[in-house]
Amino acid sequence: MSKQIQEAYIVAATRLPVSKRNGMFKNVRPDDMLAAVLKSVVAQVPGIDPALIGDVIVGCAMPEAEQGMNVARIGLLLAGLPITVPGITINRFCSSGVQAVADAANQIRLGLADVMIAAGTESMSVMPQIMGNKMSMNPAIFAREENIGIAYGMGLTAEKVAKQWGVSRDEQDAFAVASNQKACAAIAAGYFKAETTPYAISESLPDLKTGLIKLRERTVDTDEGPRADSSMANLAKLKPVFHAHGSVTAGNSSQMSDGAAAVMIVSEKILREHNLTPLARFAGYAVGGVAPEIMGIGPIAAIPKVLKQVGITQDQLDWIELNEAFAAQSIAVMKELGINPDKVNPLGGAIALGHPLGATGAIRIATLAHGLKRTGGKYGMVSMCIGTGMGAAGIIEAL
Amino acid sequence: MNKLIVKKAAVLGAGVMGAQIAAHLANANVPVVLFDLPAKDGDKNGVVKKALDGLKKLDPAPLANKDKLKFIDAANYDEHLPLLADCDLIIEAIAERMDWKNDLYAKIAPFLSSTAIIASNTSGLSMNALAQGLPEAVRPRFCGIHFFNPPRYMHLVEIIGTQSTDGSTLDALETWLTSRLGKGVIRALDTPNFVANRIGVFSILAVMHHTSAFGLGFDEVDALTGPKIGRPKSATYRTADVVGLDTLAHVVKTMQDTLPGDTWHQYFTNPGWLTALIGQGALGQKTRCGIFRKQGKEIQVLDLAKQDYRTSVGEIAEEVAAILKVKNPAEKFAALRASSHPQAQFLWAIFRDIFHYAAVQLESVADNARDLDFAMRWGFGWAQGPFETWQAAGWADTAQAIAADIAAGKAMSATPLPGWALESGRTGVHSAQGSYSASKNAYVARSTLPVYQRQFFPERVLGEVAISPAQTGETLYEDDGVRLWRNVAVDAGIGIISIKSKMHTIGNEVLDGVIAAVRQAEQTLDGVVIWHEVPFAVGANLQQVGEACAAAQFDLLEATVEKFQRASQTLKYAQVPTMVAVQGMALGGGCEFVMHASKRVMALESYVGLVEAGVGLIPAGGGCKEFAVRAADWAAQSATPGEVFNYLQPVFMTIAMAKVAKSAAQVIDFGFGKPSDTILFNANELLYVAIKEARALADAGYAPPPMARAIPVAGKNGIATFEMMLVNMKEGGMISAHDYKVAKSAAIALCGGEVETGSLVDEEWLLTVERRLFVDLLKTPETQARIKHTLETGKPLRN
Repeated sequence: MSKQIQEAYIVAATRLPVSKRNGMFKNVRPDDMLAAVLKSVVAQVPGIDPALIGDVIVGCAMPEAEQGMNVARIGLLLAGLPITVPGITINRFCSSGVQAVADAANQIRLGLADVMIAAGTESMSVMPQIMGNKMSMNPAIFAREENIGIAYGMGLTAEKVAKQWGVSRDEQDAFAVASNQKACAAIAAGYFKAETTPYAISESLPDLKTGLIKLRERTVDTDEGPRADSSMANLAKLKPVFHAHGSVTAGNSSQMSDGAAAVMIVSEKILREHNLTPLARFAGYAVGGVAPEIMGIGPIAAIPKVLKQVGITQDQLDWIELNEAFAAQSIAVMKELGINPDKVNPLGGAIALGHPLGATGAIRIATLAHGLKRTGGKYGMVSMCIGTGMGAAGIIEAL
Repeated sequence: MNKLIVKKAAVLGAGVMGAQIAAHLANANVPVVLFDLPAKDGDKNGVVKKALDGLKKLDPAPLANKDKLKFIDAANYDEHLPLLADCDLIIEAIAERMDWKNDLYAKIAPFLSSTAIIASNTSGLSMNALAQGLPEAVRPRFCGIHFFNPPRYMHLVEIIGTQSTDGSTLDALETWLTSRLGKGVIRALDTPNFVANRIGVFSILAVMHHTSAFGLGFDEVDALTGPKIGRPKSATYRTADVVGLDTLAHVVKTMQDTLPGDTWHQYFTNPGWLTALIGQGALGQKTRCGIFRKQGKEIQVLDLAKQDYRTSVGEIAEEVAAILKVKNPAEKFAALRASSHPQAQFLWAIFRDIFHYAAVQLESVADNARDLDFAMRWGFGWAQGPFETWQAAGWADTAQAIAADIAAGKAMSATPLPGWALESGRTGVHSAQGSYSASKNAYVARSTLPVYQRQFFPERVLGEVAISPAQTGETLYEDDGVRLWRNVAVDAGIGIISIKSKMHTIGNEVLDGVIAAVRQAEQTLDGVVIWHEVPFAVGANLQQVGEACAAAQFDLLEATVEKFQRASQTLKYAQVPTMVAVQGMALGGGCEFVMHASKRVMALESYVGLVEAGVGLIPAGGGCKEFAVRAADWAAQSATPGEVFNYLQPVFMTIAMAKVAKSAAQVIDFGFGKPSDTILFNANELLYVAIKEARALADAGYAPPPMARAIPVAGKNGIATFEMMLVNMKEGGMISAHDYKVAKSAAIALCGGEVETGSLVDEEWLLTVERRLFVDLLKTPETQARIKHTLETGKPLRN
């Protein structure tokens, strides 16, 4: 068990629906997405004076261009939070969102703040290429054989994991089909409603026929990624992308997406003073490193650590959000740790729901907090692999 | 003749031909409205939108580049007929049904502009009958415009006037089609199937008939009726599979229905096996099974005797192969006739019957023999039309042999040869005076339309007086590699450099020649054009490189590369404008010449690329250097001058993957050319335009660009970032270790060497970097193996 002064409680957690890359949020800026979730999360706890917010910690995996310049501060100002509220953007690639939650919670646990906001925002639509606006590798990477894994694309690492852990194409495709089916069923059942903040998109589009600017306004509230028609037969048609003879395809990999989420975390003192009912207690968070060329296996370095930190066993977890960067790595992690597949991603994962990199961790915390509450579960975990070879895992306890 | 101005066109019918005709109009920057029936469900333009999507996937590509699609608007007859009012040319390309076409004409008539030309792409319906479906006022502007599939690539367009068509309309249309769309136009008479299909489909039927008569296999016949006799590689049956067996059957049925009086009519029927295949749904390429099919990697052919498929072999008997190699056509045909081998007899029979048929039909289908021969060259891809072949084989002897076979009942029809064909003293149908017209019983000269004055060296039929470029003009300088000449009547101040080597490969002598010719032009001329007949240049002389490698003469090779670079730089920095007139392939070193010229005049069908990676090398005639310089120029115009990497990225992929631009538009897209370059659709106009452009540059006070200096390079970080891509490709099993090495060398050359990112270098530095890398690669056994393999097989080796 880690040492702490006080507990940290999640009192609100919300997210936007997730858009496909160049989908419904094509014309929505990531700082605007962030502002929207910040406004929403503050509004969900009306009794708390926003001036009490100690800091806004925002995860973003490619903090440049539209989401550069410390997007956290820009987003919170756009959200109308008091100018006294500071903001910081952090980056641990795909775990940035859950890292933000952990960092915010830790501020509370250490007694340094009573109210914190953790968030994540990422628009992959604004990135001209997947590695950001300017790619530039360090020549030293290629000077030593053991560093070359740093240069591997994520898909190639998934191929390596598939090979090393013996994950077949069929297993991957079946996992992807299940992800889509679960996500579609969850949407149909309205399970995401409680965690979702609808977003009003307003687009100024040129109407070439009239010469006037046409305002297109609509409010979206549903994830765009899940495919009801996903099937083994459809997926079997896709060619491997990353290896000439590989098994990882666009269909069994996570989708590139746009999204944002925010979580408000408070101390016990605030709970008492404002008579709040928390969604969950933040229980723990850990990260660990693995070889970059098999980065997908990263969760195996983090999950045992966080379980030990929280003082529970894997069996005590009721719900596991294991980010589906690739079906291959998700399956390998489950095999390696003996995770019960029935507990993993009951509402689908990133293959269906999308993976807006730095926002995903916070998004899945929202899913987990609301999901545990809805199902009466106790412990839930969000875990993911991280580029260049890391894993992260965070545990919350529903109250 | 009024000039035809097509500000906008419409194509009615978004089928295979309509959509591709629209694409070719778009290639020529003509905005097009493409119509079809409204879709029954969903978006009413759904039918057309689907066709437009299909254009992106077709191979060979109907579009010069994907951007051209922007010029095509989707429309439907329910909602958009008023759009026709702005269209100057309307091409109808719907299904071959007279009643459907008439209905459509009635529907569009109220919306037509009073000056628009309306043309039908019918492949065989009576144009005069179709004209009846239009209001009288429109008929003078109505004619046939018959494109061939695929319309971008097939040179032929038959235009067909009706009794009411205004002659000046046809002249204006022919002019426009020739220059703007780059087509070879012939005037066809209004007879069923017009010229090319009438003769060409008969030829297919004759081949089918004799295949069966001589008991030959389909694969055997394809081996005999392909390039060996000057016809396309796909020969007869493979072509039928590509066209679609159902389509072929339909065309044959049309002949059967529309040509009842043709004395060959009994043959206008589909063989039982063809009908059976169609019945089984084996329609050829589109169903992946027809006369041929692919099983795994094996090509199989239908064997009628076995009623099953077998491995396709298609061997030509040694004796027949030897005859086909005979250079003298008269001797070759005599030998074919004399041979008792069924393959030789077959070949004589198919030639005899096509000669016979063409001679009998000439009077009714075409104005003259030149039109018929060009129709077969341009519409069916034959190297020579039937009359040319006959004339080359010795007219009189061949005519006598045909007549004898007719008399002996061996020919497909007993119809005698027309009298003119047997006239004593006749040596052929093409002569200095023109080509024979059976209807006029006279020799007819070529068209005098002014547009043809733009063609200094038009395509000639055999027997016509042909002026070889090598014998034209005044020679100013000549060595083993090039000839510098001028045509005083055209422009005495503009020199023309013509490379003399086979396929215009660039060897030592060509490099010496180019440098010397440009030096001379600087002293005595106002500008130069590099022009010769197609192709522009297939690359460096690999034979010379291979031999020097084998002899380990690497110092010599480096000196040659240095000379290559000097030749490129000479073109770039000459004191007079250096134009390149590009058509066909410009690969490797050819591409580097193209890149370094002051300006490019390119035929649409230009295939340009730095393909050195295929033989394990990198561009080193200034190609990598030039892209490094251009990337710096492009970056300098951006918000982040000096950040050159983003501009190098697409270029690197182009070089590493040896990508070839497949149109002049792509040459500019790929960065080999510049947006200010000129694209011509008719390659025969290249020299005319290039001389004019060189003159214009000279008269505008041409000065060469200043020698590039202080060029920021991507350096070490750029190389590492490219290496990241290569690591993934290699680990992903997509490239070999040697591919990696070659591509990394290209990366180093493009990034200006392993120096600090942003270092400032000059052109000499960049040339030295690419040259040293090139020579280092030459020393590797893998590159040497690639060169050897390519020289021996003509194909790349992946090692």
